[in-house]
Amino acid sequence: MTLKKWLLVLALLAPGLGLIVGLIGVAVYIAVAQSFGYYNLSGESGFSLDFWSDMLARKVFNRAVVYSIYVGVISSVLAVMLAYPLAIWLRKPFPGSLTIGAILKAPLLVHGLVAAFLFINVIAYHGILNQFMQGLGIWDAPKRLQNDRAAIGVIILQVWKQMPFALLLLTGAVQSISDDVLNAARDLGAGGFARFRKVIAPLTVSAMQAALIIIFIGALADFSFQVIAGPTNRQSLSQLMVFFKSGGRWNDAAVVGVSLMIIAILGSGLLAAVTRMTMRGRLA
Amino acid sequence: MIAAHRFNQILLALLLGLTAVWLVVPFTMAILWSLVDPSEPWTADRLVPPVMSFYRWQDMWENSSLKVALVNSYLLAPSAAIAALMLSMPTAFALGRIRFPGREVAKILALLPLIVPPFVTSIFFTSLLYQLGLNTWRFGAILFAHAIVFMPYAIRIMTVSFEQVRSDHIDAARDLGASPWARWKVAYLPALKPGIFASLLIVFIQSIEEFAIAFIVGSPDFTTIPTLLYGTLGQDFVRPNAAVLSLILVVPNVLLMLILERLLKSANPALSSGKG
Repeated sequence: MTLKKWLLVLALLAPGLGLIVGLIGVAVYIAVAQSFGYYNLSGESGFSLDFWSDMLARKVFNRAVVYSIYVGVISSVLAVMLAYPLAIWLRKPFPGSLTIGAILKAPLLVHGLVAAFLFINVIAYHGILNQFMQGLGIWDAPKRLQNDRAAIGVIILQVWKQMPFALLLLTGAVQSISDDVLNAARDLGAGGFARFRKVIAPLTVSAMQAALIIIFIGALADFSFQVIAGPTNRQSLSQLMVFFKSGGRWNDAAVVGVSLMIIAILGSGLLAAVTRMTMRGRLA
Repeated sequence: MIAAHRFNQILLALLLGLTAVWLVVPFTMAILWSLVDPSEPWTADRLVPPVMSFYRWQDMWENSSLKVALVNSYLLAPSAAIAALMLSMPTAFALGRIRFPGREVAKILALLPLIVPPFVTSIFFTSLLYQLGLNTWRFGAILFAHAIVFMPYAIRIMTVSFEQVRSDHIDAARDLGASPWARWKVAYLPALKPGIFASLLIVFIQSIEEFAIAFIVGSPDFTTIPTLLYGTLGQDFVRPNAAVLSLILVVPNVLLMLILERLLKSANPALSSGKG
């Protein structure tokens, strides 16, 4: 490539890719710098590890870390576990399979806040679920289901919203497995579950990793589901970051933000590695 | 085979039933709640609200910041869509039509905004605005952020579109003496059209729905429909009002998404360039 061509490419990339890398790069840079005491908006700026050491000693921070990881891992694993059988079922078109695909993908079109509202409406104290269970005589009195302590509500919402996404990725991967491979496995005496374990899962491991990681990062960084449907005695990392920011404590917010990014990267790497290792064990 | 067919039918019925519960019940509840007339409350012992009217819709229209939020959202989204498309075009051209070392890395880097958690981007973008003293023009700041954060979609779609422009069409136009502008019009534009519409639509939808940036950069006085809905779900939670806002947010998007799906299906180079 000539110098002239390089300059042309760079000039073409500048307004698009350049701005993207610039904005995200600056945002991440400011987060890291503020977490070490630079760019202080109130008071003196300068290098300091105090914000990190103070934050790491805070109970509310450590609880938020554990809680966010819990929601992230459970939601991503559950969404992928639910999406797999559906993807395999929809591998071959049959009458009605298109409709089913469309209905299953519908939550992708529903805004997260709307989903949260619909959900708390259904599980409200006098909501339809409580009335239904009472009507059946299973529950004697209405139960308080909203903002439950184990964050089951948040996880249900995450799975409802993210499972279609996992389904989208896995359907493509499962459809690309040829019939010959599956028939060969069947002829060799592999049952349904063995075919999944030894053929389908190893061959679709990349899509599985992608789905797990993207859903994990989304659920880890969740704000709106947590605020509306989550337990009131716990905070997610995003919620904690917003809390510090609205109090004008930018440096503390920065520490939480940087932690969130580090956990996202480490967690994704770990999820990918665990998936691959499990599959390798099965391949052998 | 017959057993498998029967099995599929049973599964189908089960699943349709489940999704009816999954989608139809929640939305029906929301519609009913939005119709509750304040003259008589909807108590737990009744299946449907005792008195139904459009009072809540009218009330929200007249006495809340709904109008302002609608104007903001529907000004912001098309502006962000056009800005994102314009900014993405040169990059997409380079990624789609020029072979250069590092092209794959550039393609991955373009996805950055989708990987960094939205609240991290928005909080430290706000911090940057404060450092620069630019935190007062909220509309401009949100527009700028939306255009960049949703540009990856436009870059992805437009890169594929640029790849699909046929070189023989460009060469033919040049051989026939077409000026650069005429070449663009006859060789590029027909192949790019579905991609352009799809990019505009997807950024539009993303911007209408975007919450983190609008909430952090816009607070406290700039409202969009999602931030207004968030406010209604928070401290002053009035169920019927939240129902009205939810429906206003969700219905246009479903329609737009259906159009988008059509567009993406029609994004076929053979069809769009008029030749097989």
